[in-house]
Amino acid sequence: MKLWWAHTKAELLVLLRTPGFLIPTMLFPSMFFLMFAAPNLTSTVAANLSTGSFMAFAVFTVTFFQFGVGTANERENPWSSYVRTLPAHPVYRNLGKVATAAVLALLAALVLVISAGFSTPLDLPLARWPRIFLALAAGGVMMGLLGTALAYLVAPKAALPLANLIYLPLAFMGGMWMPPEWLPKLVQQISPYLPSRQWMELVWPAVAGDPWRLQPWIAVLAFTVAFALLAAWAQRRDELIR
Amino acid sequence: MIAAVRNAHKRLGRVQALRGVSLEVHEGELLALLGPNGAGKTTLVSLLVGLRAPDRGEVRLDGRDPREPAARRVLGMTPQGTGFPPALKVREVVELVRAHYPDPLPTAEVLARFGLEGLAGRSVQALSGGQARRLAVALAFAGNPRLAVLDEPTTGLDVESRRSLWREIRRFKQSGGTVLLTTHYLEEAESLATRVVVLDRGRVVAEGAPEAIKRRVGLKRVRLRAAELPEWPEVERREFEDGRYTLWTADADALVRRLVQSGVAFSDLEVLPVSLEEAFLAVLGEEEER
Repeated sequence: MKLWWAHTKAELLVLLRTPGFLIPTMLFPSMFFLMFAAPNLTSTVAANLSTGSFMAFAVFTVTFFQFGVGTANERENPWSSYVRTLPAHPVYRNLGKVATAAVLALLAALVLVISAGFSTPLDLPLARWPRIFLALAAGGVMMGLLGTALAYLVAPKAALPLANLIYLPLAFMGGMWMPPEWLPKLVQQISPYLPSRQWMELVWPAVAGDPWRLQPWIAVLAFTVAFALLAAWAQRRDELIR
Repeated sequence: MIAAVRNAHKRLGRVQALRGVSLEVHEGELLALLGPNGAGKTTLVSLLVGLRAPDRGEVRLDGRDPREPAARRVLGMTPQGTGFPPALKVREVVELVRAHYPDPLPTAEVLARFGLEGLAGRSVQALSGGQARRLAVALAFAGNPRLAVLDEPTTGLDVESRRSLWREIRRFKQSGGTVLLTTHYLEEAESLATRVVVLDRGRVVAEGAPEAIKRRVGLKRVRLRAAELPEWPEVERREFEDGRYTLWTADADALVRRLVQSGVAFSDLEVLPVSLEEAFLAVLGEEEER
């Protein structure tokens, strides 16, 4: 517990003292929402769904980049190998990262809900929030693992451009920015096979107050396991060549 | 014996970094691992501190596999380079490290010993190169370990900072601590170590007391103009170019004495230092051609 807190504290301090990273990361999804989604949201149902989608987008942004680009930068940093020589299981440090990403993701989602509250007829009863939270967390874990895999698979300098190249299409084609019916025909056909879309199939029922179907849960779980295995494999490979 | 490596082989990508290295670190000694750049020192250290596992062979730290976190409680290490987490303050970095050990030194003492008092609240980014390097070395001692592993601790330090670091390293040893130090400065090994192991191209090529090692690889170059010189046993290697001899020797004094006594006419006598890299090429070159 002491070790977990020591690492979490260090991560959080670094984050708080780099506002140039923190503030844009938290504001970007909300800005996107206010510019492109909010003006068209006239009904409560549409506002709720869109807010749910953009909360997922905010969580996606934070977790994918925290673990993708953050881990990639660390690979080049001698400090991270130093920390591995300290007498602590790596799990403490990783849990510190998870806690930090969770705090950041929550903040980004909160900023989004506040933006939506002011700009749309949003009305989400309190009773729906536990399920919304669960759905967002499940997707956040999945995308964090995808980010980690990416960070270990490509050269550190390539991580940021490549992350953007994956992240923006995944968000768009997964239906995070607009309802899937509005997507181009071809994209509509691809969309159900994407992890981002399966994630949305968890978020939307939670926001609408509808029951969950089992299938998207299985899909998200399967993607999570696949990304975890890929990340573990890539990390081992990286250790061998360094 | 606090740490041991037995017949370790390690390949990194295309480079065979270690080719069967064995090494023992005894409690209370100050062992210097000496070798030119690329000799495998850092790879060997990375095995001992649990960063990597050997492809073949065995590594033990306090009788256990150093990849087990608990085995590393006896260990304090210097980070290579000075890549601290950018936004942290000096005190926060020291405290993060201390949190890992059961009985660490007080933060104030760590800072005072390494000339960092007054800098506790300074951001690590605002440290000078020398201060950052001192902080890196201080971290090896922050946990009050039994074994301090210092990987090139004084590279890039000015003479004064180097001396004061040496003083702290000696003090740690006098209080019963064990030190494993890597360096490519013969002077550093000579000044600090009780025992020296010389590594070159992934093998242990020499081992012994600092004086013995110095006799072997501590060469000087003696340059002079002369028409012709006889063969002398002190000379490890000789070159002749444009009427100028370059003689490589472990004992420049004896060579100069012999030169004067021989009555050979000479001019422009110079005695020059030889880097460890050059000394290895001169002395050990043949041994590694296999």
